[in-house]
Amino acid sequence: MSAALSIENLGKRFGVGRPAVDGVSFDVPAGEIVVLLGPSGCGKTTTLRCVAGLEHPTGGRISIGGRVVSEPERGLLVSPRERDIGMVFQSYAVWPHMTVRQNVAYPLKHRRKSRGGDINAKVNETLELVGLADYADRPVVSLSGGQMQRVALARSLVYRPQLLLLDEPLSNLDAKLRLRLRDELRRILKQTGMTGLYVTHDQAEAVVLGDRIGVMRDGHLLQMAPPGEIYNRPADAFVANFTGASNVLRGKVLARSGETATIDLGGVGRIEAWTPQPLSAGDQARIALRAENVRLGERAERNVFSARVLERRYQGTQTVYDLELGGQRLEALELGTAARHDPNAEIPLTLPPEMCWAYRDEGQSLD
Amino acid sequence: MTATNAAALPVADSVERPTRGWATPLWVGALLIILAFLVIYPLAMLFFGALSDSNPVVDGFGAFRPSIARFLEVLGNENVHLAFFNALLACGGGTALAVLIGLFFSWIVVRTDTPGRRFIAGASMVPLFVPPLVAGVAWSILGSPKTGLLNIALKWLGIDFRFDFYSMSGLILVFGIYYAPYVYMFTSSALRNMDPSLEEASEVAGASAFTTLFTVTFPLIAPAILAGMLLSFVVMLGIYGVPAALGAPANINVLTTYIFKLTAWSPPLYNTAAAVAILLMVVTAIMVWAQQKVLSGKSFATVAGKAFRPRSLNLGSWRWFTFALALVYLFIVVVLPTIALVIAAFRKFLFFKDFDAVFDTKAYSLVHFNAVFDNPLTMLSIWNTLKVGVITALVGGALAFAIGYTVNRTHVPGRKLIDLLATVPVAIPGLVVGVAYLWAWIGLPGGLYGTIWILALAFVARFMPDTVKALSTSFLQIHRELEEAAWICGRGLLGTIGTIVLPLARPGVVASMTLLFVLAIRELGSSLFLYTSDTTVMAVLLLDYYEGGNTGKTAAFSLVQTVILAVLLGLTNWLSRGSAQGSARVG
Ligand SMILES: Nc1ncnc2c1ncn2[C@@H]1O[C@H](COP(=O)(O)OP(=O)(O)OP(=O)(O)O)[C@@H](O)[C@H]1O
Ligand SMILES: [Mg+2]
Repeated sequence: MSAALSIENLGKRFGVGRPAVDGVSFDVPAGEIVVLLGPSGCGKTTTLRCVAGLEHPTGGRISIGGRVVSEPERGLLVSPRERDIGMVFQSYAVWPHMTVRQNVAYPLKHRRKSRGGDINAKVNETLELVGLADYADRPVVSLSGGQMQRVALARSLVYRPQLLLLDEPLSNLDAKLRLRLRDELRRILKQTGMTGLYVTHDQAEAVVLGDRIGVMRDGHLLQMAPPGEIYNRPADAFVANFTGASNVLRGKVLARSGETATIDLGGVGRIEAWTPQPLSAGDQARIALRAENVRLGERAERNVFSARVLERRYQGTQTVYDLELGGQRLEALELGTAARHDPNAEIPLTLPPEMCWAYRDEGQSLD
Repeated sequence: MTATNAAALPVADSVERPTRGWATPLWVGALLIILAFLVIYPLAMLFFGALSDSNPVVDGFGAFRPSIARFLEVLGNENVHLAFFNALLACGGGTALAVLIGLFFSWIVVRTDTPGRRFIAGASMVPLFVPPLVAGVAWSILGSPKTGLLNIALKWLGIDFRFDFYSMSGLILVFGIYYAPYVYMFTSSALRNMDPSLEEASEVAGASAFTTLFTVTFPLIAPAILAGMLLSFVVMLGIYGVPAALGAPANINVLTTYIFKLTAWSPPLYNTAAAVAILLMVVTAIMVWAQQKVLSGKSFATVAGKAFRPRSLNLGSWRWFTFALALVYLFIVVVLPTIALVIAAFRKFLFFKDFDAVFDTKAYSLVHFNAVFDNPLTMLSIWNTLKVGVITALVGGALAFAIGYTVNRTHVPGRKLIDLLATVPVAIPGLVVGVAYLWAWIGLPGGLYGTIWILALAFVARFMPDTVKALSTSFLQIHRELEEAAWICGRGLLGTIGTIVLPLARPGVVASMTLLFVLAIRELGSSLFLYTSDTTVMAVLLLDYYEGGNTGKTAAFSLVQTVILAVLLGLTNWLSRGSAQGSARVG
C-alpha cells in the first residue's frame, strides 16, 4: 500500500556546471500529495526522476516506505522496477502498438512480484476509476490527448504502487480539459489513498492538487508548506514573487520585534510588515505585496498612505491601477465591474501589515 | 538503392510561367525520348528476349515469334528453381543475420553508454564502401576449406575445427556482416526519434530491460526494422561479387551467378538469361514496392520535430562487454579481410607449412604487384574505369538535373510520366540492367556495343533514381521566391536557371555527381555483360583474376582497387565539400 517518501540532502550534477538538484530535503507522509513547483529548469523533473530511479543521484539519500532506494555514498541504487512506484509522464508515454486494455494490463503481466488475482478484474476496476470503461478495447492511438493521459494514469495505478510520481501530466492538454482533469486527478488520488509527488510549473494546479507545495529554484528547495502558507507566509522574496506578489517597495529597517518589522519608506513615512527573516535596524529591505491585497480608498489603523493614480486599466470584471507611492510604483487590483478611481486622483489606501512581507534586500534578481 | 519519391514532394504553386508555344512540348518530348532510350527500349528488348528464342534486332522481326510458353519453360527448369531457392536462402539468411547485427549496433550506439559509441557508429558503416567482390575474395582467402588462413591458424592452435566459406553458410555469413549497415541506418534513426519515456514507462511498471526491449522498443521500431530488412534483402539479391567468389567453388548458384553462367556458355543462352533476369527483376520489384509501402505508412515511434533528451542506459561494467563485441565485429569485417588481402598479395606462395611461416619475411615480395602491372589490361582497366566514372557522372548529373528541375519546379504536362520513368530502374538489379543493355545493343552494327559509352549509359540508367532523389532534395531547399525574383527582373527561363538555380543548387549537383562517380567506378553487375577486351573495367578484371585462380594476383589487384577507390572517395568528398562551402555564402 501507499508508503512514505523521504528525501535527504538530494544532489544531482550533470557533467560540469552547477548541479541540477542541490541539497533538497523533504518528506511525504503516506497518503499525502506533495507538489513541486518552480520555473522552467529549476530541477523539478530531475528530482522526480531521481526518486523514480531513472536518473542516478550524485548525493543524498532517498527512501520509500522506509527502504533506502538510493544512496550514492554507499553505492546503493535500486532499479526503477524494484521501487514499486508508478509514474505518469508529460508525453503520456502510452504504448501506441497496444489497446487501452493491453496498456493497463502490462504492469500486472510483467511485474516480478505481481500480487496475483484476476488481471482482467483489476484492469476493469481501474478503467472504471479513470472513466475509460467503455474504451477498453480501443487502440490507444484512436484516443484523444485527455483520454491517453487517463490511460497513463490507469496504467500507473492498476498495481497500486507505494508511490505515484507525476511529471506535468496535464501540460499537454488544452486549458478547459486541464481544469477538469485537475480536479478529477485529486479525487482519484485521494480515493485510492495514494502517496503522490507531482511536478508542475502551474500555480493553480499546485494549489488545487497539493496537500503541500514545495517551491524550487536553481536546484534548491526554498519552501515546503501547505498552499495557504505558501500564499500568505512566503519564506523568501522569490517565493513571494513567483506566487504572484509582484509589487516591491524598498526601504530601510528601523526596528523589528518578533515577526514584525518597521520600515522607513522614505518621504511617505513608515510601514509595518511581517517578516520571516531576522532583520535588524539599518538593513535594506524589500517589501513584497500582492496587487489584490492593496485596499484602495480605505483608511485602517495602520499602514495608511496616500497615492496618486498614474494609469487605470479597466478589464471588465476588475480594474488594475498603476499608483505612485512616494516615488515608488505600486500596482493595485480592484474587483467589480465599476472603476471607482480616476487617473491623476490622489487617493488614500491601506496596506494591511500581515499582507506586507519584508525580506532582506541583497539586490538579488527574482526571475 | 533507395527509391525516389519525387512525385510525393510538395510542389509549390508558382506564378504562371511565360512559355513559348513550342518550347515546352519540345523539352518534355526530348526528356521522354531520352528516358525511353535509356530505360524503356532495353527493358522492352529484355521482355522480347525472354519471350522468344531469337533477338529481333539480330535476326530481324521475321524470326521473332513471341510465346509465353518459352518463358514458362524456363521458369519450370529445375536449375532455375535451384538458383531461385539458393538466392532466397542466402539472402534470407543474410538478412536475418544483418537484422541481428544492425539492431544490436543501433541499440549500443543510441541507447547505451558503451565507450567509443561515435567511433563505432562511423566504423560500422565501412562495409558499405567495400566492393562485394573484394569482400568475397578476402573471405575466400580467409575461409577456403583447405588453404584458408583461418583454418591454418586453427590447425596451429590445435583446434579440430575447420571453416568452409565455400558454402551456403559462408555466403550467409558474409552477406549478413557486410549488409548489416543497411538495417542499422534505418533502425538507429528510428530509435533516435523514439520518445525515451515509452521505454522508461515500461521500466517503472516493473518490466526488465530485456522484456522492455522485446515488448516495447522493437515493436515500436518494427516498420524501420522491416524497411531495413527489405532493403538489405533487395541489395543482396542483386549482388554478383560475393556469390561468385564464395558460391561458385562449391557449385552454389544464386540467380545472379546463374544468369551470368547462362551467357557464358557456348553458345550463350541469351534468351534463357533474359527470362531468369525477369524473374529476378520481379522479385526485386515486389520487395522495393513493399519497402516503399512500409516507409510511407504511419510510424508509431517517430514524432516529427520533437527533440528528445537522449536516453542512455547505464550498463555498468557490461559496457565493456558491448564495447568488446563492437570491436570484434569491426575486426571481422574490416581488419581480418584487410590482413588476409595484404598477406596474400605480398606472399610469393600462399602456402604455409605452419603458422610461424606467416611471419617469415623472406616469403614476402612484390611479385604479384609486378605481375599485375605487367599485364597491359590492368592500366587499361583503371583508365577505362575512370573514363566511365567521369562520363557517368557528367551525363547522369546533367540528365538528373534536367529531370529534377522539370519534375519539381515546373508544371509542364508529362512531368509525372518523366518522374515515373526515371524511378523505374530502382526495381532493376544491376545485373538485369546489364542483360537488358546487352539485348538492346548487341546486334546493332556500329552501335554502342563495345564502347565505353554503353557502360556509362547503363550506369546512368541504373543509378538515375538515386541521383534524381539526391538532386530533388536540394531543389526543395531553394526558395521559389529567389527564382521568381529573377523572372520578374525579366530573365528568361534559361537565364534564370543559369544565374539563380544552378549556382544555388551547385552543392546538390556536385554531391549527386560525386555519388554517381563513386557508384559507377565500383559497379560490377551491369558491367559483366557489356565490356569487351578494349573496354574492360577494374571490377571485371578483378573477377578475371579471381576466376583465373591466381590468389596472389587477385589479392594484389584487390588492394590496388581498394586504394584507388579510397583515394577517389576522399578526393571527391573533399571536392564536393569545398563546393558546398563555396556556395554557402551565396545562400
Ligand atoms: N540529461 C541531462 N543532461 C544535462 N543536463 C540536464 C539533463 N537533465 C536536466 N539537465 C539540466 O538540469 C536542470 C534542471 O532540469 P529539469 O528538467 O529538472 O528542469 P524542470 O524544473 O523540470 O524544468 P521544466 O519545467 O522546463 O520541465 C536544467 O538546467 C537542465 O538543463
Ligand atoms: Mg520538467
